[in-house]
Amino acid sequence: MVEEQTPCRILLVDDQPIIASNLAPYLERSGFIVTVAADGEAALRAIEDASPDLIVLDVLMPRLDGREVLRRLRKSGNWTPVILLTQVGDPTERAGALDEGADDYLNKPFEPYELLARIRAVIRRSRSGKPLAACRRLRCGPLELDRLTRRAALRGKEVTLTAKALSVLEYLMLHPNEVCTRERLLDAVWGWDYPAATRAVDVRIAELRRALNDDTDSPRFLETLIGQGYSFIGRVEAVS
Amino acid sequence: MKRFGLVLLPAGLALVIGILWQQGWLPNPIIYTRTDAGSLIFLLGLAISLMWAAGRAIWSLAWNRCELGLAQLGEEQVALRRRFIRRLDHELKNRLTAIRAALINLPQDSNSRVVGEMRTEVDRLAVLSTDLRKLVDLETRPIEQEVVDLAALLTELIGMAQQRPEASSRHLELTLPRVPWPLPPVAGDRDLLFLALHNLIDNSLKFCRPGDMIEIRTFEDGPFITVEVADTGPGVHPEDLPHLGEELFRGRITQEVEGGGLGLALVQTIVQRHAGTMRIRSRLGQGTVVAVRFPAARQGHA
Repeated sequence: MVEEQTPCRILLVDDQPIIASNLAPYLERSGFIVTVAADGEAALRAIEDASPDLIVLDVLMPRLDGREVLRRLRKSGNWTPVILLTQVGDPTERAGALDEGADDYLNKPFEPYELLARIRAVIRRSRSGKPLAACRRLRCGPLELDRLTRRAALRGKEVTLTAKALSVLEYLMLHPNEVCTRERLLDAVWGWDYPAATRAVDVRIAELRRALNDDTDSPRFLETLIGQGYSFIGRVEAVS
Repeated sequence: MKRFGLVLLPAGLALVIGILWQQGWLPNPIIYTRTDAGSLIFLLGLAISLMWAAGRAIWSLAWNRCELGLAQLGEEQVALRRRFIRRLDHELKNRLTAIRAALINLPQDSNSRVVGEMRTEVDRLAVLSTDLRKLVDLETRPIEQEVVDLAALLTELIGMAQQRPEASSRHLELTLPRVPWPLPPVAGDRDLLFLALHNLIDNSLKFCRPGDMIEIRTFEDGPFITVEVADTGPGVHPEDLPHLGEELFRGRITQEVEGGGLGLALVQTIVQRHAGTMRIRSRLGQGTVVAVRFPAARQGHA
Protein backbone atom coordinates (compact mmCIF):
# COMPACT_ATOMS: atom_id res chain seq x y z
CA MET A 1 0.00 0.00 0.00
CA VAL A 2 1.35 3.40 -0.94
CA GLU A 3 1.25 6.07 1.71
CA GLU A 4 1.30 9.80 1.15
CA GLN A 5 4.52 11.30 -0.15
CA THR A 6 5.54 12.79 3.16
CA PRO A 7 5.55 10.08 5.77
CA CYS A 8 2.87 10.48 8.38
CA ARG A 9 4.11 11.25 11.90
CA ILE A 10 2.48 9.25 14.63
CA LEU A 11 2.66 9.80 18.36
CA LEU A 12 2.25 6.54 20.24
CA VAL A 13 1.23 6.93 23.88
CA ASP A 14 1.21 3.89 26.15
CA ASP A 15 2.48 3.49 29.68
CA GLN A 16 3.60 -0.05 28.97
CA PRO A 17 7.12 0.37 27.54
CA ILE A 18 7.09 -3.08 26.01
CA ILE A 19 3.97 -2.31 23.98
CA ALA A 20 5.29 1.01 22.71
CA SER A 21 8.77 -0.31 21.98
CA ASN A 22 7.41 -3.18 19.92
CA LEU A 23 4.66 -1.33 18.09
CA ALA A 24 6.92 1.55 17.11
CA PRO A 25 9.33 -0.43 14.90
CA TYR A 26 6.40 -2.24 13.29
CA LEU A 27 4.69 1.03 12.40
CA GLU A 28 8.00 2.44 11.18
CA ARG A 29 8.46 -0.52 8.90
CA SER A 30 5.00 0.27 7.58
CA GLY A 31 6.14 3.72 6.53
CA PHE A 32 5.37 6.00 9.47
CA ILE A 33 7.58 8.14 11.64
CA VAL A 34 6.85 7.20 15.23
CA THR A 35 7.48 9.05 18.48
CA VAL A 36 6.68 7.46 21.81
CA ALA A 37 5.36 8.98 25.03
CA ALA A 38 4.91 7.06 28.26
CA ASP A 39 2.13 9.01 29.96
CA GLY A 40 -0.46 11.70 29.46
CA GLU A 41 1.71 14.63 30.49
CA ALA A 42 4.55 13.54 28.25
CA ALA A 43 2.00 13.13 25.46
CA LEU A 44 0.74 16.70 25.80
CA ARG A 45 4.32 18.01 25.73
CA ALA A 46 5.12 15.91 22.67
CA ILE A 47 1.99 17.12 20.87
CA GLU A 48 2.97 20.72 21.54
CA ASP A 49 6.56 20.21 20.43
CA ALA A 50 6.12 18.04 17.38
CA SER A 51 2.43 18.37 16.39
CA PRO A 52 2.06 14.82 15.05
CA ASP A 53 -0.35 13.92 12.24
CA LEU A 54 -2.05 11.22 14.28
CA ILE A 55 -2.08 10.13 17.92
CA VAL A 56 -2.52 6.58 19.19
CA LEU A 57 -3.59 7.02 22.78
CA ASP A 58 -3.93 4.43 25.51
CA VAL A 59 -6.85 5.14 27.84
CA LEU A 60 -5.64 3.76 31.15
CA MET A 61 -2.44 5.47 32.17
CA PRO A 62 -1.09 6.76 35.46
CA ARG A 63 -1.19 10.50 36.24
CA LEU A 64 -3.08 11.79 33.23
CA ASP A 65 -5.20 9.22 31.46
CA GLY A 66 -5.93 9.07 27.76
CA ARG A 67 -9.42 10.50 27.94
CA GLU A 68 -8.23 13.54 29.87
CA VAL A 69 -5.47 14.11 27.32
CA LEU A 70 -8.06 13.93 24.55
CA ARG A 71 -10.44 16.25 26.40
CA ARG A 72 -7.74 18.89 26.90
CA LEU A 73 -6.62 18.55 23.31
CA ARG A 74 -10.10 19.05 21.89
CA LYS A 75 -10.85 21.84 24.32
CA SER A 76 -7.85 23.75 23.04
CA GLY A 77 -9.14 23.34 19.50
CA ASN A 78 -6.63 20.71 18.45
CA TRP A 79 -8.33 18.30 16.05
CA THR A 80 -5.42 15.96 15.37
CA PRO A 81 -6.92 12.53 14.64
CA VAL A 82 -6.82 10.26 17.68
CA ILE A 83 -7.19 6.49 17.94
CA LEU A 84 -7.99 5.45 21.50
CA LEU A 85 -6.78 2.13 22.83
CA THR A 86 -9.59 1.16 25.14
CA GLN A 87 -9.21 -1.36 27.88
CA VAL A 88 -12.45 -1.93 29.60
CA GLY A 89 -15.22 -3.40 27.53
CA ASP A 90 -17.67 -1.14 29.24
CA PRO A 91 -20.00 0.24 26.57
CA THR A 92 -20.16 3.61 28.31
CA GLU A 93 -16.46 3.88 27.73
CA ARG A 94 -16.94 3.17 24.06
CA ALA A 95 -19.75 5.68 23.77
CA GLY A 96 -17.63 8.18 25.69
CA ALA A 97 -14.72 7.60 23.38
CA LEU A 98 -16.81 8.94 20.51
CA ASP A 99 -18.36 11.74 22.53
CA GLU A 100 -14.99 13.19 23.29
CA GLY A 101 -14.00 13.22 19.69
CA ALA A 102 -11.78 10.20 19.23
CA ASP A 103 -11.63 9.32 15.55
CA ASP A 104 -11.57 5.63 16.19
CA TYR A 105 -10.76 3.19 18.88
CA LEU A 106 -9.43 -0.29 19.30
CA ASN A 107 -9.96 -2.76 22.09
CA LYS A 108 -6.95 -4.38 23.66
CA PRO A 109 -5.62 -6.97 23.03
CA PHE A 110 -5.42 -6.19 19.33
CA GLU A 111 -3.28 -7.57 16.56
CA PRO A 112 -0.72 -5.00 15.36
CA TYR A 113 -2.09 -5.21 11.82
CA GLU A 114 -5.51 -4.15 13.13
CA LEU A 115 -3.96 -0.99 14.50
CA LEU A 116 -2.23 -0.40 11.19
CA ALA A 117 -5.53 -0.78 9.33
CA ARG A 118 -7.22 1.72 11.64
CA ILE A 119 -4.40 4.21 11.32
CA ARG A 120 -4.61 4.04 7.54
CA ALA A 121 -8.39 4.40 7.57
CA VAL A 122 -8.27 7.40 9.90
CA ILE A 123 -5.60 9.10 7.81
CA ARG A 124 -7.64 8.49 4.66
CA ARG A 125 -10.71 10.18 6.04
CA SER A 126 -9.02 12.84 8.11
CA ARG A 127 -9.66 16.36 6.92
CA SER A 128 -8.85 19.69 8.34
CA GLY A 129 -11.02 21.02 11.12
CA LYS A 130 -13.36 19.42 13.56
CA PRO A 131 -13.88 15.71 12.89
CA LEU A 132 -17.40 14.31 12.67
CA ALA A 133 -16.59 12.27 15.76
CA ALA A 134 -16.52 15.44 17.84
CA CYS A 135 -19.90 16.68 16.61
CA ARG A 136 -23.13 16.15 18.39
CA ARG A 137 -25.53 16.21 15.46
CA LEU A 138 -24.93 14.63 12.08
CA ARG A 139 -26.92 15.04 8.93
CA CYS A 140 -27.10 13.30 5.60
CA GLY A 141 -29.82 14.73 3.39
CA PRO A 142 -33.15 14.17 5.13
CA LEU A 143 -31.59 12.00 7.84
CA GLU A 144 -30.51 13.55 11.10
CA LEU A 145 -28.87 11.94 14.09
CA ASP A 146 -28.50 13.48 17.52
CA ARG A 147 -25.76 11.53 19.22
CA LEU A 148 -26.36 12.97 22.65
CA THR A 149 -30.09 12.39 22.98
CA ARG A 150 -29.77 9.17 20.93
CA ARG A 151 -32.46 10.15 18.44
CA ALA A 152 -32.70 9.83 14.71
CA ALA A 153 -35.11 11.70 12.50
CA LEU A 154 -36.07 11.33 8.87
CA ARG A 155 -37.48 14.49 7.28
CA GLY A 156 -37.97 15.91 10.75
CA LYS A 157 -39.99 12.92 11.88
CA GLU A 158 -38.52 10.82 14.63
CA VAL A 159 -37.53 7.25 13.71
CA THR A 160 -38.00 4.54 16.32
CA LEU A 161 -34.87 2.43 16.60
CA THR A 162 -33.44 0.01 19.12
CA ALA A 163 -30.39 1.25 20.96
CA LYS A 164 -28.16 -1.12 19.05
CA ALA A 165 -29.47 -0.15 15.63
CA LEU A 166 -28.91 3.47 16.54
CA SER A 167 -25.33 2.78 17.53
CA VAL A 168 -24.77 0.96 14.24
CA LEU A 169 -26.16 3.94 12.37
CA GLU A 170 -23.96 6.27 14.40
CA TYR A 171 -20.84 4.29 13.66
CA LEU A 172 -21.63 4.07 9.95
CA MET A 173 -22.40 7.79 9.71
CA LEU A 174 -19.15 8.64 11.44
CA HIS A 175 -17.29 6.56 8.86
CA PRO A 176 -19.06 7.53 5.65
CA ASN A 177 -18.02 5.91 2.39
CA GLU A 178 -15.80 3.51 4.25
CA VAL A 179 -16.16 -0.24 4.18
CA CYS A 180 -17.17 -1.31 7.67
CA THR A 181 -16.80 -5.04 8.06
CA ARG A 182 -19.24 -6.83 10.31
CA GLU A 183 -16.37 -7.66 12.63
CA ARG A 184 -15.54 -4.02 13.03
CA LEU A 185 -19.14 -3.07 13.69
CA LEU A 186 -19.33 -5.80 16.28
CA ASP A 187 -16.20 -4.62 17.97
CA ALA A 188 -17.42 -1.05 17.99
CA VAL A 189 -21.10 -1.43 18.82
CA TRP A 190 -21.43 -4.75 20.61
CA GLY A 191 -17.99 -4.61 22.14
CA TRP A 192 -17.35 -8.27 21.63
CA ASP A 193 -17.90 -11.00 19.18
CA TYR A 194 -20.87 -13.30 19.19
CA PRO A 195 -21.49 -16.68 17.69
CA ALA A 196 -23.18 -16.11 14.36
CA ALA A 197 -22.12 -12.54 14.78
CA THR A 198 -22.83 -11.80 11.17
CA ARG A 199 -26.50 -12.37 11.78
CA ALA A 200 -26.51 -10.02 14.76
CA VAL A 201 -25.22 -7.22 12.52
CA ASP A 202 -27.50 -8.13 9.64
CA VAL A 203 -30.54 -8.04 11.89
CA ARG A 204 -29.74 -4.46 12.90
CA ILE A 205 -29.00 -3.37 9.35
CA ALA A 206 -32.35 -4.82 8.29
CA GLU A 207 -34.01 -2.89 11.11
CA LEU A 208 -32.30 0.32 9.98
CA ARG A 209 -33.32 -0.23 6.37
CA ARG A 210 -36.91 -0.77 7.40
CA ALA A 211 -36.94 2.28 9.64
CA LEU A 212 -35.18 4.52 7.13
CA ASN A 213 -37.18 3.20 4.18
CA ASP A 214 -33.95 2.34 2.44
CA ASP A 215 -34.14 0.13 -0.61
CA THR A 216 -31.55 -2.64 -0.82
CA ASP A 217 -31.27 -2.36 -4.59
CA SER A 218 -30.93 1.39 -4.81
CA PRO A 219 -29.91 2.48 -1.34
CA ARG A 220 -29.76 6.08 -0.27
CA PHE A 221 -27.94 5.41 2.99
CA LEU A 222 -26.83 1.86 3.61
CA GLU A 223 -25.01 -0.09 0.99
CA THR A 224 -24.17 -3.76 1.27
CA LEU A 225 -20.76 -4.68 -0.07
CA ILE A 226 -21.09 -8.38 -0.66
CA GLY A 227 -18.40 -10.34 1.08
CA GLN A 228 -17.05 -7.22 2.77
CA GLY A 229 -19.55 -5.46 4.96
CA TYR A 230 -21.56 -2.27 4.94
CA SER A 231 -20.96 1.28 3.99
CA PHE A 232 -22.81 4.49 4.62
CA ILE A 233 -23.12 6.27 1.32
CA GLY A 234 -23.83 9.92 1.01
CA ARG A 235 -22.24 13.03 2.41
CA VAL A 236 -22.41 13.34 6.15
CA GLU A 237 -22.07 16.80 7.60
CA ALA A 238 -22.15 18.22 11.07
CA VAL A 239 -25.13 20.28 12.15
CA SER A 240 -24.17 23.18 14.31
CA MET B 1 -25.90 -40.55 46.56
CA LYS B 2 -25.69 -41.05 50.30
CA ARG B 3 -29.13 -39.61 50.73
CA PHE B 4 -30.68 -42.40 48.70
CA GLY B 5 -29.99 -44.67 51.68
CA LEU B 6 -32.44 -42.68 53.77
CA VAL B 7 -35.32 -44.12 51.79
CA LEU B 8 -34.52 -47.53 53.24
CA LEU B 9 -34.06 -46.25 56.80
CA PRO B 10 -37.60 -46.97 58.14
CA ALA B 11 -37.65 -50.43 56.59
CA GLY B 12 -34.18 -51.19 57.93
CA LEU B 13 -35.11 -50.06 61.44
CA ALA B 14 -38.24 -52.22 61.43
CA LEU B 15 -36.20 -55.22 60.31
CA VAL B 16 -33.58 -54.75 63.06
CA ILE B 17 -36.17 -54.30 65.83
CA GLY B 18 -38.16 -57.27 64.49
CA ILE B 19 -35.10 -59.55 64.60
CA LEU B 20 -34.16 -58.33 68.10
CA TRP B 21 -37.65 -59.16 69.33
CA GLN B 22 -37.85 -62.47 67.52
CA GLN B 23 -34.53 -63.64 68.94
CA GLY B 24 -35.64 -62.60 72.41
CA TRP B 25 -32.67 -60.20 72.82
CA LEU B 26 -35.17 -57.50 73.71
CA PRO B 27 -38.22 -58.00 75.89
CA ASN B 28 -40.93 -58.87 73.44
CA PRO B 29 -44.26 -57.99 75.03
CA ILE B 30 -47.37 -59.59 73.61
CA ILE B 31 -50.02 -57.11 72.54
CA TYR B 32 -53.57 -58.38 72.60
CA THR B 33 -55.79 -56.40 70.37
CA ARG B 34 -59.17 -56.63 68.83
CA THR B 35 -59.94 -54.56 65.82
CA ASP B 36 -62.27 -54.44 62.91
CA ALA B 37 -61.12 -54.98 59.36
CA GLY B 38 -61.92 -51.36 58.40
CA SER B 39 -59.56 -49.83 61.00
CA LEU B 40 -56.81 -52.32 60.18
CA ILE B 41 -56.94 -51.53 56.47
CA PHE B 42 -57.11 -47.81 57.30
CA LEU B 43 -54.00 -47.98 59.51
CA LEU B 44 -52.14 -50.05 56.97
CA GLY B 45 -53.03 -47.62 54.22
CA LEU B 46 -51.93 -44.69 56.35
CA ALA B 47 -48.57 -46.31 57.12
CA ILE B 48 -47.90 -47.12 53.48
CA SER B 49 -48.88 -43.61 52.39
CA LEU B 50 -46.57 -42.07 54.97
CA MET B 51 -43.66 -44.24 53.88
CA TRP B 52 -44.33 -43.47 50.26
CA ALA B 53 -44.46 -39.73 50.94
CA ALA B 54 -41.28 -39.81 53.00
CA GLY B 55 -39.52 -41.87 50.35
CA ARG B 56 -40.69 -39.51 47.64
CA ALA B 57 -39.47 -36.47 49.55
CA ILE B 58 -36.06 -37.96 50.19
CA TRP B 59 -35.83 -39.13 46.60
CA SER B 60 -36.50 -35.72 45.21
CA LEU B 61 -33.95 -34.19 47.57
CA ALA B 62 -31.36 -36.69 46.54
CA TRP B 63 -32.05 -36.08 42.87
CA ASN B 64 -29.12 -34.27 41.43
CA ARG B 65 -30.94 -31.05 41.09
CA CYS B 66 -29.20 -27.88 41.63
CA GLU B 67 -30.05 -24.30 41.04
CA LEU B 68 -26.98 -22.49 39.97
CA GLY B 69 -26.57 -19.02 41.12
CA LEU B 70 -24.14 -16.49 42.29
CA ALA B 71 -27.01 -15.66 44.59
CA GLN B 72 -25.64 -18.42 46.77
CA LEU B 73 -22.67 -16.20 47.45
CA GLY B 74 -22.97 -13.03 49.43
CA GLU B 75 -23.14 -9.78 47.52
CA GLU B 76 -19.78 -8.76 48.89
CA GLN B 77 -18.14 -11.93 47.64
CA VAL B 78 -19.64 -11.42 44.22
CA ALA B 79 -18.34 -7.86 44.09
CA LEU B 80 -14.94 -9.04 45.20
CA ARG B 81 -14.87 -11.70 42.53
CA ARG B 82 -15.90 -9.24 39.85
CA ARG B 83 -13.20 -6.78 40.90
CA PHE B 84 -10.64 -9.54 40.78
CA ILE B 85 -11.73 -10.61 37.31
CA ARG B 86 -11.64 -7.03 36.09
CA ARG B 87 -8.07 -6.59 37.29
CA LEU B 88 -6.99 -9.92 35.94
CA ASP B 89 -8.56 -9.06 32.61
CA HIS B 90 -6.78 -5.71 32.55
CA GLU B 91 -3.41 -7.32 33.22
CA LEU B 92 -4.00 -10.06 30.69
CA LYS B 93 -4.91 -7.59 27.99
CA ASN B 94 -1.80 -5.48 28.34
CA ARG B 95 0.47 -8.53 28.36
CA LEU B 96 -1.27 -9.99 25.34
CA THR B 97 -1.03 -6.76 23.38
CA ALA B 98 2.67 -6.68 24.21
CA ILE B 99 3.24 -10.28 23.15
CA ARG B 100 1.41 -9.76 19.89
CA ALA B 101 3.39 -6.63 19.19
CA ALA B 102 6.62 -8.48 19.98
CA LEU B 103 5.72 -11.46 17.79
CA ILE B 104 5.22 -9.28 14.76
CA ASN B 105 8.77 -7.96 15.08
CA LEU B 106 10.35 -11.40 14.90
CA PRO B 107 12.75 -11.77 11.96
CA GLN B 108 11.19 -13.53 8.99
CA ASP B 109 13.52 -16.54 9.26
CA SER B 110 12.52 -17.40 12.84
CA ASN B 111 11.41 -20.94 13.50
CA SER B 112 7.98 -20.71 11.96
CA ARG B 113 6.52 -23.75 13.68
CA VAL B 114 7.33 -22.44 17.14
CA VAL B 115 6.11 -18.96 16.26
CA GLY B 116 2.92 -20.44 14.86
CA GLU B 117 2.30 -22.34 18.06
CA MET B 118 2.95 -19.27 20.13
CA ARG B 119 0.52 -17.29 18.04
CA THR B 120 -2.13 -19.96 18.50
CA GLU B 121 -1.69 -19.90 22.25
CA VAL B 122 -1.78 -16.12 22.36
CA ASP B 123 -5.00 -16.22 20.35
CA ARG B 124 -6.46 -18.67 22.86
CA LEU B 125 -5.55 -16.41 25.72
CA ALA B 126 -7.05 -13.50 23.84
CA VAL B 127 -10.33 -15.41 23.56
CA LEU B 128 -10.22 -16.09 27.27
CA SER B 129 -9.57 -12.45 27.98
CA THR B 130 -12.47 -11.47 25.73
CA ASP B 131 -14.73 -13.89 27.53
CA LEU B 132 -13.69 -12.47 30.87
CA ARG B 133 -14.50 -9.03 29.58
CA LYS B 134 -17.89 -10.25 28.41
CA LEU B 135 -18.62 -11.45 31.92
CA VAL B 136 -17.67 -8.18 33.56
CA ASP B 137 -19.38 -6.25 30.82
CA LEU B 138 -22.59 -8.18 31.25
CA GLU B 139 -22.77 -7.30 34.90
CA THR B 140 -22.99 -3.62 34.19
CA ARG B 141 -24.22 -3.04 30.66
CA PRO B 142 -27.81 -1.90 30.36
CA ILE B 143 -30.00 -4.68 29.02
CA GLU B 144 -32.13 -3.78 26.07
CA GLN B 145 -35.82 -4.47 26.39
CA GLU B 146 -36.95 -5.37 22.95
CA VAL B 147 -39.50 -8.08 22.24
CA VAL B 148 -37.64 -11.27 21.40
CA ASP B 149 -39.28 -14.27 19.79
CA LEU B 150 -37.46 -17.19 21.40
CA ALA B 151 -39.09 -19.65 19.01
CA ALA B 152 -37.54 -17.88 16.01
CA LEU B 153 -34.22 -17.63 17.82
CA LEU B 154 -34.19 -21.34 18.59
CA THR B 155 -35.18 -22.27 15.05
CA GLU B 156 -32.22 -20.25 13.82
CA LEU B 157 -29.91 -21.84 16.37
CA ILE B 158 -31.01 -25.35 15.46
CA GLY B 159 -30.34 -24.56 11.83
CA MET B 160 -26.85 -23.43 12.76
CA ALA B 161 -26.24 -26.44 14.99
CA GLN B 162 -27.32 -28.86 12.29
CA GLN B 163 -24.66 -27.52 9.97
CA ARG B 164 -21.91 -28.46 12.37
CA PRO B 165 -19.99 -31.61 11.50
CA GLU B 166 -20.68 -33.31 14.84
CA ALA B 167 -24.42 -32.78 14.45
CA SER B 168 -24.69 -35.43 11.75
CA SER B 169 -24.06 -38.23 14.24
CA ARG B 170 -26.29 -36.81 16.97
CA HIS B 171 -30.02 -36.57 17.00
CA LEU B 172 -31.16 -32.99 17.43
CA GLU B 173 -34.75 -32.07 18.03
CA LEU B 174 -36.60 -28.87 18.76
CA THR B 175 -40.08 -28.84 20.19
CA LEU B 176 -42.05 -25.62 20.02
CA PRO B 177 -45.61 -25.18 21.20
CA ARG B 178 -48.01 -24.19 18.44
CA VAL B 179 -51.42 -25.00 19.84
CA PRO B 180 -53.53 -23.20 20.97
CA TRP B 181 -51.08 -20.33 20.70
CA PRO B 182 -47.38 -20.11 19.94
CA LEU B 183 -44.67 -19.43 22.48
CA PRO B 184 -45.07 -15.89 23.84
CA PRO B 185 -42.06 -13.59 23.43
CA VAL B 186 -39.74 -12.42 26.17
CA ALA B 187 -38.40 -8.93 26.73
CA GLY B 188 -34.67 -8.54 26.53
CA ASP B 189 -31.53 -8.31 24.47
CA ARG B 190 -31.85 -10.47 21.38
CA ASP B 191 -28.13 -10.95 20.93
CA LEU B 192 -27.48 -11.87 24.54
CA LEU B 193 -30.34 -14.37 24.59
CA PHE B 194 -29.01 -15.78 21.36
CA LEU B 195 -25.58 -16.14 22.91
CA ALA B 196 -26.94 -17.84 26.04
CA LEU B 197 -29.01 -20.38 24.11
CA HIS B 198 -26.19 -20.90 21.67
CA ASN B 199 -23.82 -21.74 24.50
CA LEU B 200 -26.26 -24.25 25.97
CA ILE B 201 -26.75 -26.08 22.67
CA ASP B 202 -23.03 -25.85 21.98
CA ASN B 203 -22.27 -27.46 25.33
CA SER B 204 -24.64 -30.31 24.63
CA LEU B 205 -23.12 -30.91 21.23
CA LYS B 206 -19.62 -30.79 22.62
CA PHE B 207 -20.15 -33.30 25.38
CA CYS B 208 -22.44 -35.70 23.57
CA ARG B 209 -21.01 -38.71 21.80
CA PRO B 210 -22.11 -39.98 18.40
CA GLY B 211 -25.58 -41.49 18.63
CA ASP B 212 -26.67 -39.30 21.54
CA MET B 213 -29.92 -37.39 21.51
CA ILE B 214 -30.34 -33.71 22.16
CA GLU B 215 -33.80 -32.37 22.74
CA ILE B 216 -34.58 -28.69 22.96
CA ARG B 217 -38.04 -28.05 24.24
CA THR B 218 -39.88 -24.94 25.21
CA PHE B 219 -43.06 -24.37 27.09
CA GLU B 220 -45.12 -21.69 28.64
CA ASP B 221 -45.33 -21.97 32.35
CA GLY B 222 -47.75 -19.42 33.71
CA PRO B 223 -46.05 -16.04 33.40
CA PHE B 224 -42.76 -17.71 32.52
CA ILE B 225 -41.16 -19.27 29.51
CA THR B 226 -38.94 -22.26 29.98
CA VAL B 227 -36.36 -23.52 27.54
CA GLU B 228 -34.83 -26.88 28.26
CA VAL B 229 -31.79 -28.29 26.57
CA ALA B 230 -31.74 -31.99 27.38
CA ASP B 231 -29.24 -34.56 26.21
CA THR B 232 -28.28 -38.19 26.68
CA GLY B 233 -24.67 -37.16 27.15
CA PRO B 234 -22.28 -38.33 29.83
CA GLY B 235 -23.93 -36.30 32.58
CA VAL B 236 -22.29 -34.28 35.30
CA HIS B 237 -20.57 -35.68 38.35
CA PRO B 238 -22.74 -34.84 41.39
CA GLU B 239 -19.84 -33.12 43.08
CA ASP B 240 -19.25 -30.92 40.04
CA LEU B 241 -22.85 -29.86 39.75
CA PRO B 242 -22.84 -26.94 42.21
CA HIS B 243 -19.73 -25.48 40.58
CA LEU B 244 -20.86 -25.52 36.96
CA GLY B 245 -21.64 -21.82 36.76
CA GLU B 246 -18.31 -20.78 38.23
CA GLU B 247 -15.79 -18.97 36.09
CA LEU B 248 -13.10 -21.23 34.70
CA PHE B 249 -14.51 -24.31 36.40
CA ARG B 250 -13.79 -27.44 34.44
CA GLY B 251 -15.67 -30.58 35.41
CA ARG B 252 -14.22 -34.06 35.56
CA ILE B 253 -15.42 -35.18 32.16
CA THR B 254 -14.68 -31.89 30.47
CA GLN B 255 -10.94 -32.35 30.57
CA GLU B 256 -10.72 -33.74 27.06
CA VAL B 257 -13.25 -31.32 25.60
CA GLU B 258 -12.09 -28.05 24.11
CA GLY B 259 -13.41 -25.01 25.89
CA GLY B 260 -12.57 -22.07 28.05
CA GLY B 261 -14.68 -22.80 31.11
CA LEU B 262 -16.66 -19.59 30.82
CA GLY B 263 -19.58 -20.74 28.68
CA LEU B 264 -22.01 -21.57 31.45
CA ALA B 265 -20.90 -18.64 33.59
CA LEU B 266 -21.88 -16.41 30.69
CA VAL B 267 -25.22 -18.14 30.27
CA GLN B 268 -25.89 -17.77 33.96
CA THR B 269 -25.10 -14.07 33.98
CA ILE B 270 -27.22 -13.42 30.90
CA VAL B 271 -30.14 -15.33 32.39
CA GLN B 272 -29.86 -13.45 35.65
CA ARG B 273 -29.73 -10.12 33.89
CA HIS B 274 -33.02 -11.08 32.23
CA ALA B 275 -34.60 -11.82 35.60
CA GLY B 276 -34.52 -15.51 34.83
CA THR B 277 -33.28 -18.64 36.53
CA MET B 278 -31.18 -21.55 35.42
CA ARG B 279 -31.45 -25.08 36.74
CA ILE B 280 -29.45 -28.12 35.93
CA ARG B 281 -30.50 -31.69 36.54
CA SER B 282 -28.09 -34.41 35.68
CA ARG B 283 -27.45 -38.07 36.22
CA LEU B 284 -24.03 -39.45 35.62
CA GLY B 285 -24.08 -41.75 32.62
CA GLN B 286 -27.62 -40.79 31.66
CA GLY B 287 -27.62 -37.18 30.66
CA THR B 288 -28.23 -33.61 31.57
CA VAL B 289 -31.12 -31.18 31.42
CA VAL B 290 -30.39 -27.48 31.58
CA ALA B 291 -33.51 -25.43 32.06
CA VAL B 292 -33.61 -21.67 31.76
CA ARG B 293 -36.71 -19.76 32.65
CA PHE B 294 -37.54 -16.18 31.71
CA PRO B 295 -40.50 -14.01 32.52
CA ALA B 296 -42.68 -13.69 29.43
CA ALA B 297 -43.00 -10.23 27.93
CA ARG B 298 -46.13 -8.50 29.09
CA GLN B 299 -48.84 -8.18 26.50
CA GLY B 300 -48.60 -4.94 24.63
CA HIS B 301 -45.02 -4.53 25.82
CA ALA B 302 -42.85 -3.02 23.16
